[in-house]
Amino acid sequence: MATAVVRNVIAERRIVIVCRLVLFALLLAGWEFYGRFVSDVWSSRPSLILARLWTWAGDGLLLHIATTLTEMACGLLIGAPVGTLLGLVLGRLPVVAGLVRPIIFGLYSIPLVTLAPLLIFWFGLDLAPKVILVSIVTFFLLFFTTFAGVQTIDRELIENYRLLGASRSEVIRKMIAPACLAWILSGLKIALPYSLISATVGEMLLARAGVGFLLMYASQQIDITGMLSALTVLMVIGVTIGEAANKLERRIMRWRLLVA
Amino acid sequence: MANGQELLKLEGVSKAFERDSGAIMALAPTDLSVEREEFVALVGPSGCGKSTILNMVAGLLRPSEGRLTYDGRPVDDLNLRVGYMTQRDTLLPWRNAGDNIGSPLELSAHKTSKSERDEKIHRMIELVGLQGFEKHYPGELSGGMRRRVALARMLIYNPETLLMDEPFGALDAQLKLVMHDEIQRIVGIGRKTVLFVTHDLAEAIALADRVVVFSGRPGRVKTVREIDLPRPRDVFRIRFAPRFTELHEELWDHLQDEVNRD
Amino acid sequence: MAYVARDSEESLVAGAARAPRRAMPGEGRLSQFLTSRGGRLFGQFVIVAVLLALWEVGSGIFLPRLWVSAPSAIVAQLYKWFSDGSIWVHLTATISSAALGYLIGAIAGVATGLLLGLSTRVEAIFSPFIVALYSLPKIALAPFFVIFLGIGIESKIALVAVTVYFLLLYNTLDGIHDLDRGWASAYRLMGANRREIVRQVMLPGIMPWVFSGLRISVRYAFTAAVFGELIAGNRGIGYLIEDSAGNFSSSGIFAGVLALVVCSVGATQIIVGVERAVLHWKT
Repeated sequence: MATAVVRNVIAERRIVIVCRLVLFALLLAGWEFYGRFVSDVWSSRPSLILARLWTWAGDGLLLHIATTLTEMACGLLIGAPVGTLLGLVLGRLPVVAGLVRPIIFGLYSIPLVTLAPLLIFWFGLDLAPKVILVSIVTFFLLFFTTFAGVQTIDRELIENYRLLGASRSEVIRKMIAPACLAWILSGLKIALPYSLISATVGEMLLARAGVGFLLMYASQQIDITGMLSALTVLMVIGVTIGEAANKLERRIMRWRLLVA
Repeated sequence: MANGQELLKLEGVSKAFERDSGAIMALAPTDLSVEREEFVALVGPSGCGKSTILNMVAGLLRPSEGRLTYDGRPVDDLNLRVGYMTQRDTLLPWRNAGDNIGSPLELSAHKTSKSERDEKIHRMIELVGLQGFEKHYPGELSGGMRRRVALARMLIYNPETLLMDEPFGALDAQLKLVMHDEIQRIVGIGRKTVLFVTHDLAEAIALADRVVVFSGRPGRVKTVREIDLPRPRDVFRIRFAPRFTELHEELWDHLQDEVNRD
Repeated sequence: MAYVARDSEESLVAGAARAPRRAMPGEGRLSQFLTSRGGRLFGQFVIVAVLLALWEVGSGIFLPRLWVSAPSAIVAQLYKWFSDGSIWVHLTATISSAALGYLIGAIAGVATGLLLGLSTRVEAIFSPFIVALYSLPKIALAPFFVIFLGIGIESKIALVAVTVYFLLLYNTLDGIHDLDRGWASAYRLMGANRREIVRQVMLPGIMPWVFSGLRISVRYAFTAAVFGELIAGNRGIGYLIEDSAGNFSSSGIFAGVLALVVCSVGATQIIVGVERAVLHWKT
């Protein structure tokens, strides 16, 4: 609960940051201590993980990261345009949309991860099945954003704009196009973390490269340090794309302001 | 109605809000005192700090400068002796009208037995004319009905001072008059002190013992006027009294500058 | 501050689910028929029937049947599993690990959300950790659970619980952020103490968010359970799918996915029913 008392905001922020650092340091130190002096068989320890990451860095870690990122990027590049296009088209065709939309919904209720074995069965163990899994997920999310977006364009608003003397091309350039861009960006923001999950899932099931593969490979050796190292890499990728997504969102906000 | 005893006192009270772009002055240093059982209406353009004054009296905000006392003591925590009807209603959407009205009586601070509570709710529902809507959720009520639920919720636990922020803004003209009549009666019977914020000058004159006109941005007191209309007032007809018209014209001159400036 | 885009997926889907516009008069008799309720159902039935028929007929001609199976083969597979009763052990395994994990994760998630959300400072301290954990695909924890808990149901329950835990944690925290500040202020002015505010304002106030979390989580609970079974296990729908893939039986994969969808959609409907009953005040 926020108290009515106006707090000194700066002092509060300082307290919070100090607490965070202390907590983080304590966590790592406690873990290190436990691993060093009690047992690191099941828990590994931060210094070992760092050392492992260092070894990996000189030994193909970048290749694995690149593999995962490539799968995500290709999947996004395939899934996003298709989803956007279908969303735009169905958004303008209410009768067809009324028929097709529930079917697309039905398909979306399939837990998409479970398609991974099928895709691997069809396309083997290299990039293709992961790319396709990512593109399926992206397709759905972009379809939903664009379709919902098209519905929000107010016909009356367009008509008013045209009454003000805007030409058809101006309506498209100044209203529809910026709005579309905003939907696509917000769809991408949501799709980014999902693309990482999908790529990882594909790699964990069957692969020869990728961060998910690293994780599974380590787990088959019961190499806890390796597993935690792979997990750290995943988390860093995740935080990075999360930040990228936030940047996108800020851009969306600016677009929204321009559109409104 | 006032009995000469000072209840609320603002001495040089001002309020500035910190924003990224720097401090924004909402209320310039203001002096104002309100006597016990006095009905004071605050009138002025939007953004003149009227609501800020209510928030400070309720203890939800601290003055940036100056001294604000209630019954002789500085308000430095929540002021539990006031009932506050905010501009935006704060009814709980998952409680029906009756339960919302009765909610203060469920708190340990005003603990009341179930039967007594039900009876009081029933009386309040009648008072604000919501018979038949007890079981409706706020989402199912019109804006005017929600205002009346909020009013009933404030009155049911009988706070000493009532703070009302545009309580009847959303009501249609007829209903507004009915509510004016009610509020005047309730305040008279309960011997309440009232701080009443409104845009509507006629409403302010019809109800108040004293009208304070504010100028906008930052808010400052422009003029204070005693309303010497005799009580009890017939809110339905008072508008046609010559004295009312005089007061209205006089205050309108002050207010008009502000409105035009907007 | 809201955490990440965790709820957006749902709001998007909800936005896209809005009822489509009815056909305007004079838009043609066919489109008028197709926008009526019955007509729409009929149209959908036709589309699905045509797609299934194309799949059935085309399978083996355009693409090898071994790869794409066919609707009849999938139904036959399901029929076989049900008639010899072999599917029950798998269904039970998946449903019970999903349900148990869901229960544990949901309770723990809401509880943690409340504990953190009660104090702005505590939440501010923990928020970077929460955000970092959000970015981590929870499914990647599966091999840890397998190593620590074995290939039995425990590791699946743990994976489901962790997945659901975070979803509910984020939803609870967002629910607390989204609470109308005015409610608490009004209650405090009416003389409510902290406990009364928590019980009468906060807990009921976050319910819409908690339920939206519960609703989305069902799907992820089943996904996590099945993924756990895909990674390691000897029973469950995931195992069935993996086993079918190993035997080059695409019919088995499709049949497994279909069974899973039925479970997940059915369970979601149960949650939706509970939600409607509890949040009946929402109009």
